Amino acid sequence: MTQILTPQYGVSPKVRSQHDAVPQDEWMTPGHVACPGCGAPMAVRYALKALGENTVVIIVASCWSIIAGPFPYSAVEVPLLHTLFATGGSMASGVKAGLEMRGLKDTAVLTVAGDGGTFDIGLQALSAAVERNEDFIYMCYDNEAYMNTGIQRSSATPWGAWTSTTPVKHPKDQPKKDMVAIMAAHRIPYTATATVAYPEDLIAKVRKANSIRGSKFLHVLAPCPSGWKTESNQTVYLSRLAVETCLFPLYEVEHGEDYRITVWPKQKQPVEKYLRLQGRFAHLKEDAIAQIQENVDREWARLLKKAGAAPGGGAC
Amino acid sequence: MSHIINFRSVSEMPDVAMSLGTTRYNKTGSWRYLRPLYRNRTSPCFAACPAGEDIAQHLRWVKEGQYERALTRILEENPFPGVCGRVCPHPCEAECNRAELGGAVAIHHVERFLADLPIARCLPVVRPIDPDAPAAAVIGSGPAGLSCAYQLARLGRPVTVFEALNEPGGMMRVGIPPYRLPRAVLDAEIESIAALGVPIRTNKRLGDTLSWDELKPFKALFLAFGQHVSKKLDIPGEELAGVVAGLDFLRQVNLGKKVKVGRSVAVIGGGNTAMDAARSALRLGAQKVTILYRRSRNEMPAIAEEIEETQAEGIHFQYLSAPVHVLGDAGHVTGLRCVQMTLGDPDERGRRKPIPVSGSDFTVPADMVITALGQDADLSPVAGSVDIRSGLLAINETGLTSCPTVFAGGDCATGFGTVAWAVGSGKRGALAIDKYLRGEALEGFPPLREHGSGGSTVLAAPREVDPAVVTFQDINQAYFESEPRAVQRQKPVGRRVKSMRSEVNLGLSEADVRCEAERCFSCGTCNGCDNCWVYCPDVAISRLNHEDYVIDYDFCKGCGLCAEECPREAIAIEEELKWKK
Amino acid sequence: MEKVMMGNHAISYGVQLARVQVIAAYPITPQTQVVEILSEFCADGRLDAKFIKVESEHSVMAAVVGASMAGVRAFTASSSHGLALMHEVLHWASGGRLPIVMAEINRTLGPGWNVWTEQTDSLAQRDTGWMQFYCETNQEALDSVLMGYKIAEKVRLPVMLVLDAFVLSHTEEPVNVPDQAAVDAFLPPYEPRYRLQPGAPGVPGEPHSFFGLVGPEHWMELRFKMQQAMEEAVDVSRQVGAEFGRTFGRPYDLLESYRMDGAELALFTAGSITGTSREVVDELREQGLSIGLVKLRMFRPFPYAAVRQALAGVKKVAVIDRNMSYGCGGIFASELRSALYGSTSQPVVFPFIIGLGGRDVTPQSIRDIVTHLRQHDRPESETIWMEVKR
Repeated sequence: MTQILTPQYGVSPKVRSQHDAVPQDEWMTPGHVACPGCGAPMAVRYALKALGENTVVIIVASCWSIIAGPFPYSAVEVPLLHTLFATGGSMASGVKAGLEMRGLKDTAVLTVAGDGGTFDIGLQALSAAVERNEDFIYMCYDNEAYMNTGIQRSSATPWGAWTSTTPVKHPKDQPKKDMVAIMAAHRIPYTATATVAYPEDLIAKVRKANSIRGSKFLHVLAPCPSGWKTESNQTVYLSRLAVETCLFPLYEVEHGEDYRITVWPKQKQPVEKYLRLQGRFAHLKEDAIAQIQENVDREWARLLKKAGAAPGGGAC
Repeated sequence: MSHIINFRSVSEMPDVAMSLGTTRYNKTGSWRYLRPLYRNRTSPCFAACPAGEDIAQHLRWVKEGQYERALTRILEENPFPGVCGRVCPHPCEAECNRAELGGAVAIHHVERFLADLPIARCLPVVRPIDPDAPAAAVIGSGPAGLSCAYQLARLGRPVTVFEALNEPGGMMRVGIPPYRLPRAVLDAEIESIAALGVPIRTNKRLGDTLSWDELKPFKALFLAFGQHVSKKLDIPGEELAGVVAGLDFLRQVNLGKKVKVGRSVAVIGGGNTAMDAARSALRLGAQKVTILYRRSRNEMPAIAEEIEETQAEGIHFQYLSAPVHVLGDAGHVTGLRCVQMTLGDPDERGRRKPIPVSGSDFTVPADMVITALGQDADLSPVAGSVDIRSGLLAINETGLTSCPTVFAGGDCATGFGTVAWAVGSGKRGALAIDKYLRGEALEGFPPLREHGSGGSTVLAAPREVDPAVVTFQDINQAYFESEPRAVQRQKPVGRRVKSMRSEVNLGLSEADVRCEAERCFSCGTCNGCDNCWVYCPDVAISRLNHEDYVIDYDFCKGCGLCAEECPREAIAIEEELKWKK
Repeated sequence: MEKVMMGNHAISYGVQLARVQVIAAYPITPQTQVVEILSEFCADGRLDAKFIKVESEHSVMAAVVGASMAGVRAFTASSSHGLALMHEVLHWASGGRLPIVMAEINRTLGPGWNVWTEQTDSLAQRDTGWMQFYCETNQEALDSVLMGYKIAEKVRLPVMLVLDAFVLSHTEEPVNVPDQAAVDAFLPPYEPRYRLQPGAPGVPGEPHSFFGLVGPEHWMELRFKMQQAMEEAVDVSRQVGAEFGRTFGRPYDLLESYRMDGAELALFTAGSITGTSREVVDELREQGLSIGLVKLRMFRPFPYAAVRQALAGVKKVAVIDRNMSYGCGGIFASELRSALYGSTSQPVVFPFIIGLGGRDVTPQSIRDIVTHLRQHDRPESETIWMEVKR
C-alpha cells in the first residue's frame, strides 16, 4: 500500500498560490482614474505593498498626478505629496531631511515619476539627489512618452516609435536613453529594472531598496494601452514579452559595478513579436525591425558580459 | 470612506488642497463595456470521465495537501476510487491538456493514492436513510448496481441490493483478478456502502432464488445484471474439453475455486478479459501463454498499460491471427488451426476490418484455450417484461426502461464495458429513481453518450460550470513549464507472477502525487492562483478567503487583464449590457 | 550679545536662533555668506539642522517645501536669478500654505551680469503669494527672521525677507544678537497644522494626499482662504512686531512714519535707501522744510490702511523705486497709487527711479529728489529717472 508521509490530512500548509510573495495588504484604493489596463497603477500598487504603512509617496507631475484622484480624494492610503515636474529628486530630499529631523528615520520616501519627469525635465534634480546619495527610493514608471499630456515623445521613447510629436513620417530617430547606465554611473548603492508582469521581482527589489541607506533607483516598464495603441488586456503580456525578448531585461546594479540578472527569459523571443502587438510600431518595415533586433541583441550581449554571465546563461 | 464630499462653504474646507477621503466614491465601473466574470468551464478530464468525477476540482485540493477533501469530492460521485484508481482505462488522461506540455497528468494514479489513504472511509451522505420513504431495489451488485444503491442511500432512500452470486462486486470481483485489484480494496469499498444501511443480499438470482413477489414492496427497480455471458467462438471444436470461456475462467479463479490450467495456454481476444485471463493462467502455472488477436496491436481494445504489463510478463502476442478450428485429441484440445489476417477498410466504428489471407494456415499448439471475444447480458429474467434492443435492455437518457417503475444501467443496458461507465450509469439511474419516487418529472438528464466520446455528465454534486470544454490553446502557457509525468512503481516481473495476490502496480509516492497535482492546469477551474487579484490595475478584485474571489463591479473598468492572465480559462468576458433591462 | 557683522551673517544668526531644522541652499552672489556660516553651524553642532546642498535654486525651494511639508522649520536664501529660477516653486510653497522663511538679497536681473543691488528681483515675485518684508538695517534683518517665522507659522504663508545686496548683505554693522532663551520664549517650536505623517507601529498614520488636482469648483475657495490669511497677516504682523518690541526692546510695525507730523512732503522708501533718506529728512527739517519719511516695511500683504493713514494730509510724495517694471513704472509707486486711489487725501505721487544695478544712492541723490519734488506740481512722466546720463 502507498505510504503516506504527512500524518494529518487537510492540515498541510496550504499552497495558496503562485503569488505567495505578494503581500495581502492594499495601500491603494479602487476608483482611481487610470485608463483601463494601465501599467502605472500596477507598479505603484506593488511598490506600496513592498513598503507598507511607514511610507511617504511623492508623485511627480505625470499620469499619476491625475490617477491619484482629485481633491478632496486620494487613491493612496499612505501620506502623499504631489510635486512639480522637475522636482522628483529635490522634493524627496527635503521630505527625507524633514522626516529625519522629526526622528522618523525609517520612513521610506518613495518618489514616483514618469519617464518625462525622470529622463528629461527631472534629470538634473535626480542626478543631484543621487550624487548626494540621498536616502530615498526613486521609482520611474516608464510608459515611454509624455502620456499625460497626449503621447508626446520623451527621451525614453524607443527608436522608431510613433508619438504625437514623432509622427509616422518622422518617427523617433534617437535611441532610448539608458537611464540605468546613468544611475549606475553615479555609483549609487542600488539600481534596478522591473516590470509589472513580474510583481514578485518588483516587490523584492523595492524591499531590497528599502533595506539600503542611500539612493535607490528603479526603472519600471509600465505599458500604456492608450499611448502604445494596444488592447487594454495586453499589458501583462507585453510587459512579459519585453523581458522575454531581452528588450527590457530585468537586472540590478549595485554600486555601479555589480550587475545581476534577476529574471531569465524562459526562451528568447524575437522582438518582432513584441513590436507587432503595438500600434505605435505598426508603420515599421522589416529593415527597421531587423535593426531593432540587432540593437536588442547587442545590448543583451553587453549586459550578459557585465553580469559575468556566459552568452548561453539562462535561456538566451 | 466612499462617500462624496461636499463643501457647503469655505469654512468647511481645509486650507490646502489635501485629501479627506479616498477615491472609493468614484464608481469607475461606469466606464466598462465589457465585464469579466468567474465562470468555471468544463475541464476535458471531467468531460471525458464516465463516472462524472470533477477531476480538476479534486486535483486542486490535492495540490494544497487537502487529501481528505479531494477524496470526499470523488466519493460524492464515485464510491469506487480504489477500484477505478487501479482498473480504469482513464479516458480523462487521453483528453488531458497537459499531454502537450510534458505528458498527461497521472489522474488515475492520484485517484488510487487518495483511495488508499490510511483513514477511515467516510462516505459523504446528504441525509440519513428515512426508513419510511418509498424504497428501491437494485438487481446486481456490480459497479452499476452498487453505485446506484450508494447514491440512493446518500439521498436518504431505503434501498436493497440483490446479488445472484454468493459474493458482491459483480465484474469487479469475478472479472478482475486480485493482482490488479486486491480483494481487500474491493471489500472495503463495498463494505463502506453497506455500512450506510444498504442490505446486500447474496445468492439471490432474479427468476430463480429471487421471486418477483419479493420485489413487490419496492417502488422502483434498477436492473444491473452486467454482461457475464461469453460470446462464442463459433468454430468447430469449441466444445472440446480445455476450451473455456474467459469470463467463466476468471469467475472461478476469482471466487477462489481451484482451477486447472494447461501448460500451454492460448488466449483468444484482445481486450482486458484476454489480458486478465492470460496473466491469471501464467500465475496459475502455465508454462507458455500466447494471446491470439485477429487485428494488430493498434486495434487492441485492452488498456495500453495492461498490454505492456502482459508483455513484460513474457506472454507472447500473436497479432493478425484468428483461429478457424480447434484441434483435439481424445476429446481434449491440443491446438488451434489459425489463419493470418490482414487489415482492410475501417468498419462502421472506425476499426479496420480483418480479412483472412487465404492459404496462410498455421497451427498453434495448446492444451488449454481461453476465449475472450466479448460479453453479452443474460436478460432472460426480464425478457417479455421490458423492451430489449440489440441484446441490451432498452433505456432512455434517464435509465428508464419500457416499464415505468423499472430502470436499468451498466453493461446490461449500455454495453460500455468499464467500471467507470457503470458507476456513472448507476448514478444516473439513482438520481432518476429519486426524482421518480418524489413524483417529479424526469427532466434535465443529458443524453447517454456513445462509448468513448464523453462521459455521463450527471453529477451527484453538480457545480455550476460552463459546458464549453477548455482546449490547450485556452491555457496561458506563460504560467507553466514542461515537466515530465511521474512514473508509478511496479513490482518486478519475477516476483509478481508467482501469485495471483501479488499486486503488480504500486502507485505513486505522496511526493509524486503532489507533483502530478501541481502539473494539472486546473482547466477551467479556479484554483486560487491569485493572478486575477494580483494583476487587476484597479484593485477591484479581492479575495474572500483562500478560495473565492469577488469582482467589485462598482470599480471594474473591464480592461480584461484578469481574463487574459487567468492561466486556466476560468474567467469569461461578456458584453456589459447596461441598457438591457 | 553685540557683534559687528554683515547683513548676511545677521540672517544666519537669526536662523540659528530660530532653531531651523532643514536648510537647503545654492550659492549665488551676494547670498553666499548666509549659507556658509549656516553650514559651519550645522557642521559643528551649533545648529541642529540638516543642510541639503542642492544643485539649483529650483531644487532649493523644492527641498525646502518638502521639508516644511514633512513638518519641520525650513529656511533658505537666494537672490536675483536664483529667485527667478525657483519662481514656479514659490507658488507651490504659498499655495501649500507652508511657513517657510527665505532671505532674499535684492540683486539685479541681467543680462548683462550685474551682482549689485536692485529691488526688481523680489518685487517681480510679488504675485506669488509670499509675504514680503523689506529690511533697512542688519539688525532688522536678524529680527525679521525671528518675527518672520512667528508670523508665517501663525497665518501659514511663506515669508520673504529682503535685504539690499552689498549695502546690507556685505556691510558690517553692529547687531544685537538676542539670547537663545528669550528667543525660545518668543518663538516656540513649530507645530504644523498639516504635515506628512506616516503610520508606524503604535502611531496611526494620516494618509492625506497633498496638492492634487483641484477643479474650478473648489479652487476659488482655497484661494479665497489664502487671501484671508494675507489679510489676517496685516494684524498678525503688527502684533508680532509689537510683541517683539516688548520682548527685545525693538518694536516693529508695518511701516514707519519718520517725522511725518504735519509734513507736506513725504519720501516713500523701502530697504536701505531708507537709512540714507532719514539723514536727508533730518537735514531738510533743520532747514525748515515740512518733509517726512514713510518707510514701507511690509510690502505683502500691502498695508493699505496704514499707508493711507501715514500719507493723509501730505501734498506730494516722492516714491523712491530702486526697481522698474518695464512698460509700466516703479513698482512701489504703482502699488502706492493704487492704495491711494479713492482715499479722501490723495497726495500727488512722484515716481522716481534711481539706483538700478547698484548705482549708489547718496544723500545728494535724495536731496535732488526733494528738489525735483518741490519744483514740480505734478510729475512730468510716468517714471522720473534720476542720474541717468542722457
